[in-house]
Amino acid sequence: MSPDLFYLLVSLLFSIGLVGLLSRKNLFVIYMSIELMLSSVNLLLATLSKVLGDANGSVMALLIIAIIAAEAALFLAMIIHLYKEIRTIDADEFNQLSEAEQC
Amino acid sequence: MLNIIVILPFLSAFIMAVVYLSNTKPQRYFFYTLIGVGSPTIITILSLLSAYELLNGAPTIHTTLLTWINIGEFNIDISFMADKLSVVMISFITFIATFIHIYAAGYMKDDEAYGKFFSYFNLFIGSMLLLVLADNPIMMFIGWELVGLSSYLLIGFYHTESQNITAANKAFILNRVGDFGFIMGIALLFVSLEGTGFTFSSIKENISLIPLDTLNLIGIFLFVGAMGKSAQIPLYVWLPDAMAGPTPVSALIHAATMVTAGVYMVARYSFIYEELPDVGLFIAYIGAFSALLAAIIASYQSDIKKILAYSTMSQLGYMFIAVGLGAYSSGIFHVFTHAFFKALLFMGAGGIIIALHHEQNIFKMGGLKKQLKLVYITMFIATLAISGIPPFAGFFSKDAILMTTYASEHYLIWIMATFTAGLTAFYMFRLFFSVFHATPKEPLSVHSLDKSITYPLIVLAFGSATAGFLGVNAAYGGDALINNFLALPDRLTHISHSTEYLLGGLNVLLALSGMLLAYKMFAATANEPIENTFFSKLIINKFYVDEFYVMLIVKPIHLSSHLIANFIDPKIIDGFISIQINTYTKVAVLFSKLQNGQVRYYALYILTGLSLMSCYMIYKLGVI
Amino acid sequence: MAKRAVVQNNMLELIIFSILTLFMLSGAIVMITSKQTLFSAFGFLITMVGLAGMFALLDSRFLAIAQIMVSIGAVVVLSLLTILTINARESNLPDEPNKYKWMVFSSLLIAPITFLLYKSLLTLNSNFSDMPTSTSKVVGELLFSQWVLPFEIVSILLLTAMLGAIIIVKDPRKKEEV
Repeated sequence: MSPDLFYLLVSLLFSIGLVGLLSRKNLFVIYMSIELMLSSVNLLLATLSKVLGDANGSVMALLIIAIIAAEAALFLAMIIHLYKEIRTIDADEFNQLSEAEQC
Repeated sequence: MLNIIVILPFLSAFIMAVVYLSNTKPQRYFFYTLIGVGSPTIITILSLLSAYELLNGAPTIHTTLLTWINIGEFNIDISFMADKLSVVMISFITFIATFIHIYAAGYMKDDEAYGKFFSYFNLFIGSMLLLVLADNPIMMFIGWELVGLSSYLLIGFYHTESQNITAANKAFILNRVGDFGFIMGIALLFVSLEGTGFTFSSIKENISLIPLDTLNLIGIFLFVGAMGKSAQIPLYVWLPDAMAGPTPVSALIHAATMVTAGVYMVARYSFIYEELPDVGLFIAYIGAFSALLAAIIASYQSDIKKILAYSTMSQLGYMFIAVGLGAYSSGIFHVFTHAFFKALLFMGAGGIIIALHHEQNIFKMGGLKKQLKLVYITMFIATLAISGIPPFAGFFSKDAILMTTYASEHYLIWIMATFTAGLTAFYMFRLFFSVFHATPKEPLSVHSLDKSITYPLIVLAFGSATAGFLGVNAAYGGDALINNFLALPDRLTHISHSTEYLLGGLNVLLALSGMLLAYKMFAATANEPIENTFFSKLIINKFYVDEFYVMLIVKPIHLSSHLIANFIDPKIIDGFISIQINTYTKVAVLFSKLQNGQVRYYALYILTGLSLMSCYMIYKLGVI
Repeated sequence: MAKRAVVQNNMLELIIFSILTLFMLSGAIVMITSKQTLFSAFGFLITMVGLAGMFALLDSRFLAIAQIMVSIGAVVVLSLLTILTINARESNLPDEPNKYKWMVFSSLLIAPITFLLYKSLLTLNSNFSDMPTSTSKVVGELLFSQWVLPFEIVSILLLTAMLGAIIIVKDPRKKEEV
């Protein structure tokens, strides 16, 4: 069993996360895509920890899990807030940055 | 002394300008009159003193005020020189100017800008004296320009009416055309002298250094300047319009002094023109044509000041005939006598205009000989003088010129000049009879005139009657005093006394017949000329020269400006710019589409960049 | 004998890895493709469970437990709760007619990145070390010795996130009424 397979899995997961981030408009899916990308990094850390025989990687992954939790709390709070504002979870509706066509 | 003569009027003009600017309300009448009339009076005395000095045998008076420019060979002093020619000029200029100033004090009394008027007037006197007394062509040019400026200022004196401003602009622009020729002439003269000094005396000494071709060119260029200033064909159209200024201005500047600057200039450069008989002939022909043309036009005008303006132009033509044919003394003599009677005529006309509440059409006047007795008498003398009736001033000077033309054997000029002499008598008496004899069409209310207006008339009438005796020819028993005094390089003419008498008789006969014709036509009732025939229509409209100039010069400029303003600038030049603008706008619109406010797209752009970088790295690092 | 056991062990690990990978990838793909938010959340849940399995497979037992407790027990469940709270109807969901075009397009864009990532990861050590490193004890010791400062910072971060979440969600209009 070689770590190469894990690497491949990490790459694939990260890319799937990116694809989801780019191609979807649903705020929840975007949020989960970001979580997926973070988790793939976690997996990589765990893998490297095993490869190098060093527990530091695991500790880092552990901290990242905590960060994921914090991020989840904030992200979901924001989604709720935005939903309350204009009753949608369509990311394209939040285009105040553009000059024209304000929603 | 010469320094004071030139500087004093400038100083007084400056003082009056400062005082006037500090308070433009019409007041301080006494102050302005004192300074404005006082300074020409002092100058007159000084001028006569310097004339006396020369009479007593001093060759020339030189005064150097300061060195103006001194660059290597190029050395221009602000210095003044009074030889016999300039002394004659300044004597009558200052003399007449003083009386016109006195006259103006009465004439302009009720004007709001009284101080401004006298300031300009003194500025003019100073400029004219600078022109006449200049020791070198550069100083003369400065005076030349300054008289143009003051003429412009005074023509546009009643600046609230736009047509006066147009007239002033016209005068200024046409003078600029002439000045261009003048400065070209001076520049060419300077270059070809190759630094052998640039005062009149040194030019005279070194004139033989210049090749004849160049000298020809210089002569013609200088004459172009004279054409502009002295209102000769083709640059004469400004003079009739210049009558828009106050009448004292017309009397002093546009009749007696400034317009004769061209004649003076030719006489001043007589040492050049003496070598150029061909150019001289050209000048004479221009003069003859101008004289005839102006006389014909004057016969059909109805505005009193315009008639006098054309008459001035006609008399200037005579002067140019004289100087062109080398009779410089006769030319200057005519300048001298003309100044008296023409100033008198203008002042009389001004008096009439004032008396009739600014009426200028002679056919609306009539029968004024009783109401304005003094003006009647003085005007009669002036009219006789200009018509060339002996023994008044005009006869002697005009006779001398006509004799020269006959003696020069250019009979065409002689015929034109003689015919013009008859015509002069006709149109002057036409004016005279219409104004004073003809029964008025409607009763006129006549002002009484101020003493300051009438007294100068008497003095000038005396001058008009007697000034001619200074230059009586040998044929009439005189010694030609003024010619001898001037000592200009006149071309000698041989003509027998009997011929002279014959010519003189002919002239008097022509003048008398012109006078009789005018008496028949206008003494009883004067009617305005009607445009009934082709010929009269042509003349009343002044041969359409103004229209011709408009068509030839003004219209093409307008047209090309129009073309530039409406086509070249907006379409071609702006077109290029708007193409760029449109391109930028379109590109910007294209790029602003990218900036659509949706974060997803921004992420896409980032990823596109990342992706391309990855491709590059895969390719470059050879990861595959 | 021992060698054979190792080979068998390896085979078993490989099978488990394959099954888990299958679950994770299909979960992830379901997550990003399904229109219904709830289905996406279930896909995400499956992926997270698979990830916990992976941690276990990598001998990081503590991490696996933490993954199950935090990621699944807290994060995913929180997400599900939020989705249910919002309770967006089918019509309220964003309309994504070009979803698959976008996916294909972005996949094409991301493919080189993925490839590069994978290739660069391959340059790392391609053998596991034999030392049983990431036991709970070791992790615990490290966490409270070398990593104690980051640990505390993360705890502050969590607290801040909690407060932030409360403040963001709080309705500003209601505050005025009170």
